[in-house]
Amino acid sequence: MKHDVTVIEDFLRATLPFSEMTEEALARAAKSCAIDFFPAGTRLLTRGETVPREVLIIQTGAVKLYLVDEEGGEILGDFRGPGAVVGGLSAVRGGPANLNAETVEDSFAFRMPVAVFLALVETQPAVAQYFLKSFSETYVSRAFGELRRRRVPPRSESSLPLFATRVGETLRRAPVTVEPGTEIRAAAEVMAEEGIGSLLVRDPAGGIAGIVTDKDLRRKVVAKGLDYRRPVAEIMTGPVRTISAGEDCFHALLAMMKHQIHHLAVERQGDIVGVITSHDLMILQGRSPFALFRDIEVERSFARLYALAEKIPLVIRPLIEEGAKAGHVGRMIAVLAEALLDRILTLLQDELGPPPAPFCWLLLGSEARREQTFRTDQDNALIYQRPADPGEASEVRDYFLRFGRGAIDHLVRCGYPPCPAQMMASNPSWNLDEAAWSDFFQHIVTVPEPEQVLHATIFFDIRPGFGFTELGERLKAQVVRLAAKNELFLRFLARDCLRARPPLTFFKGFVVEKSGEHKNHLDLKSRGIMPFVDAARVLGLRAGAAECNTLDRLAAAHSARLLSDQLHSEAAEAFELLSQTRLVHQLRLMEAGKAPDNFVDPADLTELEKRTLKEAFAVLAALQSLVREEFHLQA
Amino acid sequence: MAGLADLLRGLPFFRKRPLHPLLAANREAFRMVDHDRPLAACRFTVLDTELTGLDAAKSEIVSIGAVHLEGLSIRADQTFSQLVKPLRALPKASTLIHRITPSQVQGAADLAEILPGFVEFLDDTLVVGHHVGLDMAFLNKACRKILGGKLANPCLDTLHMARIYRAEQWEHYYERYDLKVSYALSDLAAEYGLPRFPAHNALDDAMQTAYLFLYLVKKLKDGGIVTLRDLFEAGRSWRWYF
Repeated sequence: MKHDVTVIEDFLRATLPFSEMTEEALARAAKSCAIDFFPAGTRLLTRGETVPREVLIIQTGAVKLYLVDEEGGEILGDFRGPGAVVGGLSAVRGGPANLNAETVEDSFAFRMPVAVFLALVETQPAVAQYFLKSFSETYVSRAFGELRRRRVPPRSESSLPLFATRVGETLRRAPVTVEPGTEIRAAAEVMAEEGIGSLLVRDPAGGIAGIVTDKDLRRKVVAKGLDYRRPVAEIMTGPVRTISAGEDCFHALLAMMKHQIHHLAVERQGDIVGVITSHDLMILQGRSPFALFRDIEVERSFARLYALAEKIPLVIRPLIEEGAKAGHVGRMIAVLAEALLDRILTLLQDELGPPPAPFCWLLLGSEARREQTFRTDQDNALIYQRPADPGEASEVRDYFLRFGRGAIDHLVRCGYPPCPAQMMASNPSWNLDEAAWSDFFQHIVTVPEPEQVLHATIFFDIRPGFGFTELGERLKAQVVRLAAKNELFLRFLARDCLRARPPLTFFKGFVVEKSGEHKNHLDLKSRGIMPFVDAARVLGLRAGAAECNTLDRLAAAHSARLLSDQLHSEAAEAFELLSQTRLVHQLRLMEAGKAPDNFVDPADLTELEKRTLKEAFAVLAALQSLVREEFHLQA
Repeated sequence: MAGLADLLRGLPFFRKRPLHPLLAANREAFRMVDHDRPLAACRFTVLDTELTGLDAAKSEIVSIGAVHLEGLSIRADQTFSQLVKPLRALPKASTLIHRITPSQVQGAADLAEILPGFVEFLDDTLVVGHHVGLDMAFLNKACRKILGGKLANPCLDTLHMARIYRAEQWEHYYERYDLKVSYALSDLAAEYGLPRFPAHNALDDAMQTAYLFLYLVKKLKDGGIVTLRDLFEAGRSWRWYF
């Protein structure tokens, strides 16, 4: 029979930052605590008066911290729930409390003498770090881990070490190489003997000149009736695409899908040490995004494409289980969505006849940023080259409008809901020739009106999706150039991104919707993710960056020295955490047969998640105040 | 009267066993109880016993758990927890409740060895328990036998306090006839949303009772209970005149 009550010890062991202390220090600290009860409405601290002799660690209940303004109104500072510490800051600083504290629920709390608390801050690095409030990497990674563990219970049948396995680990043998002068027949014999599907071809300098695969033998030799005695160098593909041995297999998969190849040479410190094949990756996977990608790629009927589109969410879950972050998933969804778009537009061209002029399908918004989740509204546009003969203009316009409408129709049937604001290539306003697009951007950048800026933000997230991509790239480059040099426009954009700031985030409280269907829920998208996207956009444009992915934009702003090292890494982590929380939330809803949304009930979050989310909002506030300073805006 | 008592004590039959020094001190501590002392200045012992049955004449104590309160806060570092070897074999029915097996208690000490230490732990504290009368009946029976007298510590019953608290909550006269109301320790803990402890371990039950006591003492009379007298008088304000 146990002779001790371990309630305090057990609680502290599960509570940051005490959980990071040594076992011995934890036990000693627990012994010093007394357990107290404060009914709802008990004043714990009075600003400027109470000099706390003890800090409170909330066991159950909730405490609000607040200020009183001149009119006697309350300004909410923070809500603290189970596991949170009240009075820690004034204990560290000494002197009276700088906020009022009052219980808002019946609360049990551990009273820890200030001297004990200060000793912990001094001797336990984790405690010190925690109360110095840095958005620490260790906590973030633990929060990610917890999200994954708690939200996505592992499914036994799917074990996909795509993210855990490095490319180098999949190599089972040294690469088999031949001289460029080797006869094709001899090379084929080597492949047959070794039981391999590819050979690397050496160059005279000792490096690797190219690769020969089964497919090359079939297509370039057998099918064409090429002489088997020709040198292998004639049929090889070179230079060979490589991937670093230290990359994870997910990146290998993406590279293969992107370049539509099945072999990558693996490079370690400048040397080619082996070959990774799509087959190696298939073996690593159970249900495979790659297989789905292949199915989409070869599909020739619209109806079956709709059916394949429905499978996209199914391959995402195993990725999340494997530890994919929202960024990974966004890119994977983008690759699959592009393959689908590619097929639909190709089939549509077959149906409507060849396009009368070069054109480019433009992806806008989250799709352009590669940050879409399961079901994202369509946001797209179309740009085409104005025909040389003005007489053909209306004919060309008609074709592309028909094309746009047809494509949108098919995409809707694939499960991508139409954009409520009609920002789609089926809308004549967003289906324009090059000159008209150019005029449009000139106009919104040089004559910014608040209303227009609001609608324009989506046009600054552009990515060519299909067709004559140079057209899209050219437009994008022009847009970035225009925006970067137009201070007035950027200030409008900056002001707009500050307006979207959640009002209470400033106080670091946990902000929930006050009314409506989602009362008491946290809107992760509008309060968390979009403000990050907006801030990154204006900073990225300021830095003249063409990238539109939020993490890429933050990186660009960092290289342009707009962002400090610390704020950059904190912002990137905070954004990923928010995106991940939303992704897992949506996955859960979908698995429960509900439509994915962005509203999270704080009661469903663990203490660690809540805390890390709160820290993420604090980082957002820091990012926004940086934007404010950068553009000299008033608070 | 005093003369008669002296006279009787002179006779061998009425000569009392000398009081154990611990109990003498205990009695001395409570000769005068200041009912106007703030509760925050009082020390309490919240206790619970596990028993072989409910009949004090036949059943025995198999474990004692207790924790101190000071300044109306639980001192989780000041606890008492002992298994007791009963004189008779442990009935199976009781093992099923408190999960203490005969082999566990075989290694334990006799109540005679444990009780003095517990009386020392009780010291000059006020005793708190859930349905404390039952625990005290068993403890006093043992005290009389082993130490030659009863404990003088005043007792507070959280079950009684819970009744008073519930009466305060009544808005309609008929609510008092609600038969679904439970006053079991674990049910009250659940109803008030207290941190929970596993039931039927003496120390855990004592902790659960301590949480319940803290809760009730501060919730009764809207937090208006400051002194021992307030607490005793709270029980009299039943709204029985509806």
